[in-house]
Amino acid sequence: MSDWFQDLWAAYRSTLGFAMVNAFFSLSTYAVLSAGILSFATVTYAAAGGFIGTQLALQAHLPVLLVLPASALVGALLAFAVALVFLRLDSHWMALASLALVLITRVVALNATPLTGGVNGLSVPLFFPFAALAGLLALTAVVFWRLSNSWYGIAARAVREDPAVASTLGIPPRRIQTIAFVVSGAVGGLGGMTLALMLQFLSPETYFINIAFTMIAAVVLGGSYHWAGAILGACVFTALPVIAQAVLPEFEKVLNGVALLLIMIFLPRGLIDPRGWKLRRAAKSP
Amino acid sequence: MSDLLQVENLQKSFGGLTAVADLSFSVPSGSVTGLMGPNGAGKTTVINLVSGLLRPNRGHVVLNGERIEALPPQHIAARGIARTYQNVRLFSGMTVLEQVMAGCFLRRDTSLFASFLGLPAANAARRAVARHALELLEQVGMAGRGDDLAEALSYGEQRRIEIARALGTQPRLLLLDEPTAGMNAQESDGIGRLVHSLRDGGMTVLMVEHNVRLVMDFCDRVTVMNFGRALTHGTARDCMAHPEVQEAYFGRRDDAERIRALR
Amino acid sequence: MSLFIEQLINGCALGSLYALFAIGFGLVFATLGILNAAHGTYASWAAIAAYWAVDQLGLPFPFAMLAGVAGGAVLALLVDQIGFQPLRARNAGLLGALITSIACWIVLDSLADSATGHQSLSFPLPAYPSGMIHIGEIQFATMQGISIAAMLVVTVGMHWLIRYSRFGAAMRAVGWNEAAASLSGVNPRRVVMVTALLAGATSGLAGVLGGVTTQNVSYTLGEGLMLKGFAAVVVGGYDDVRGAAVAGVALGVLEVMAAQYISTSLRDGITYALLLGFLLVRPRGIFGGVAFTRA
Repeated sequence: MSDWFQDLWAAYRSTLGFAMVNAFFSLSTYAVLSAGILSFATVTYAAAGGFIGTQLALQAHLPVLLVLPASALVGALLAFAVALVFLRLDSHWMALASLALVLITRVVALNATPLTGGVNGLSVPLFFPFAALAGLLALTAVVFWRLSNSWYGIAARAVREDPAVASTLGIPPRRIQTIAFVVSGAVGGLGGMTLALMLQFLSPETYFINIAFTMIAAVVLGGSYHWAGAILGACVFTALPVIAQAVLPEFEKVLNGVALLLIMIFLPRGLIDPRGWKLRRAAKSP
Repeated sequence: MSDLLQVENLQKSFGGLTAVADLSFSVPSGSVTGLMGPNGAGKTTVINLVSGLLRPNRGHVVLNGERIEALPPQHIAARGIARTYQNVRLFSGMTVLEQVMAGCFLRRDTSLFASFLGLPAANAARRAVARHALELLEQVGMAGRGDDLAEALSYGEQRRIEIARALGTQPRLLLLDEPTAGMNAQESDGIGRLVHSLRDGGMTVLMVEHNVRLVMDFCDRVTVMNFGRALTHGTARDCMAHPEVQEAYFGRRDDAERIRALR
Repeated sequence: MSLFIEQLINGCALGSLYALFAIGFGLVFATLGILNAAHGTYASWAAIAAYWAVDQLGLPFPFAMLAGVAGGAVLALLVDQIGFQPLRARNAGLLGALITSIACWIVLDSLADSATGHQSLSFPLPAYPSGMIHIGEIQFATMQGISIAAMLVVTVGMHWLIRYSRFGAAMRAVGWNEAAASLSGVNPRRVVMVTALLAGATSGLAGVLGGVTTQNVSYTLGEGLMLKGFAAVVVGGYDDVRGAAVAGVALGVLEVMAAQYISTSLRDGITYALLLGFLLVRPRGIFGGVAFTRA
């Protein structure tokens, strides 16, 4: 029995680890989405947090426990700068612009060799205990829970649903969205560093468009109206390829795509949908 | 009676279409002022201009002596103007209480940090806001419905919630854009009585209203608009007797007779 | 001097592919409000279809091109009807369609990879016009001339269609507000389907031309076009055909010139630096400026 468990743990330990790392990214995407912004810039924050954090550890010999907050800070500052530029655009343009930012990030990463190791990448010989990763994610979840219960939470929902109406209630949409960007940046930077610790290797290809797309898909899949949806979505999205590989290795990706398509068509508001629950409750009670 | 709101030579056009052309009127402090006019007269545009959702091409909006036409909506709200919408715009997915609490944003009375950490003072402030929101719901006759999902309620109930949400900002001037559209006579009278009780509590109300009977019964003063201009001001009775108003509202006498002949 | 002009033509030919791609991508974005991640796969599949037409059926090149373009169009229509149509009824907005387009992108990319046997194919030599055109001292490949001509024809035709035809007015009406469009007698369903077909066809054209000129028929063809064509959309402005065309060609020229005169390793960097500059200075693109918000 214990052997069986050990085998299972050995086989899926890394899957679980990646699920947790992905949860940071999807929470980062959720942070802006919950204030009505579709942004892929999480990848950029992750790259900045990951590369700068790694260099801080390698060059300045900072302990990992200090590197992580530093990565979050780098991401948050970057996101603040991004917010200053992007919040002047309307939503469609913002989505495009953030996608462009991801492409630019890769080119910068390829050419900033002293920081990133260029095409050769960067080895990250650092140890980070599994339990600490879980603890960090739990801490982040607490932050999101507290935020959603603060006045920011209700203001962000109002801005997401109707920024014009929110503004006539005295809620400043841009300021709320700037806060959302900063939170997104901090969590994205943190996620970038945990990915570096998980992979023990970084290259400009590590942080690329596939992260952006899979994370936005994960958030919507899990449910973009509750922070727990982002975490659940990241888990499902990390597990899906593993399951697909076990079932039909030849068509693993096709299976992934079809699953995503079906879920989106039949569960457009995701797995965790507070509004759906309330609606059903309203339908039950006369 | 001094004027709380003055609109001076306001002009707004969209492309080639002029929605508001050189409009001037004022809203006396402590009054219920009606804004009337046929469809397309520019009434909703006026509400949008006063609440800051639109910026005028020319002219001024003056609240209590301060020009506000160039301010963003959130600053105008902070100065004491709140509004409702012609086609109810509640936030999807929020309960009734949450809608009103969103309206209470301006009186949150605590920093984000304190609220985030759940410090005792912040929690107390939050409870105070929730209590206030419940009182507002009671005031609009929606007591006990706080936990319902707003979009699952009837149209008339949603309008009341929208008023409660606007009241959450503690306005000096409340703008109501056709608050009784789609309501029966009884529900409309309820809104009228609510408006009166707000006025008696010291609030000033500017309401766009189509229902002539309601305007007669509940508005202290009326401004009638047509083609983006003010036709006349005065008491409801005087305004309705004005020949141009008669024409704008009911068409020319011979038009009306022709229509009757067609039936 | 002749080297410079030849490189200029090289750049224009490459940029024409970006432009074609960007026109279709922008068309869907402006009219249907969909950020379509699967747009590049139409190009890959069109190139594969054209390759099959040549390789399996032995069709002459013009027909192979036609097969590719038709393939791209049909695929786009299929993706629209399977991936986007179910969401329209639910008002899922920008986000829902983005996710299903990502799903379609994953599926179509991986199927394309299988279809080419996990490798990059190239058109057999006699199957396409491989000659050179000589004008004085200057010479360039016939295919490059075809690419530029195709881009010019599509740009002019598409601009005319959108700005001056009745159907274009209907497309703009749908882009502005679908409900209002249906009230004014426009059939939104038909507009949606034709828009998808047009977008697929232009992307397919870019795919076939790109597949021949770069000697690369595989799923990476579409991904490459996507990354650069996307830059053209941002620089040119997604709601203007002319902008996308000018930006696409400009990016192509810039890329070739940068590689020739500055450094090969910096050529992508220069493209994206320009992109960043535009985002900061002219976020709505060259011809942008009119406020255009979907209701």
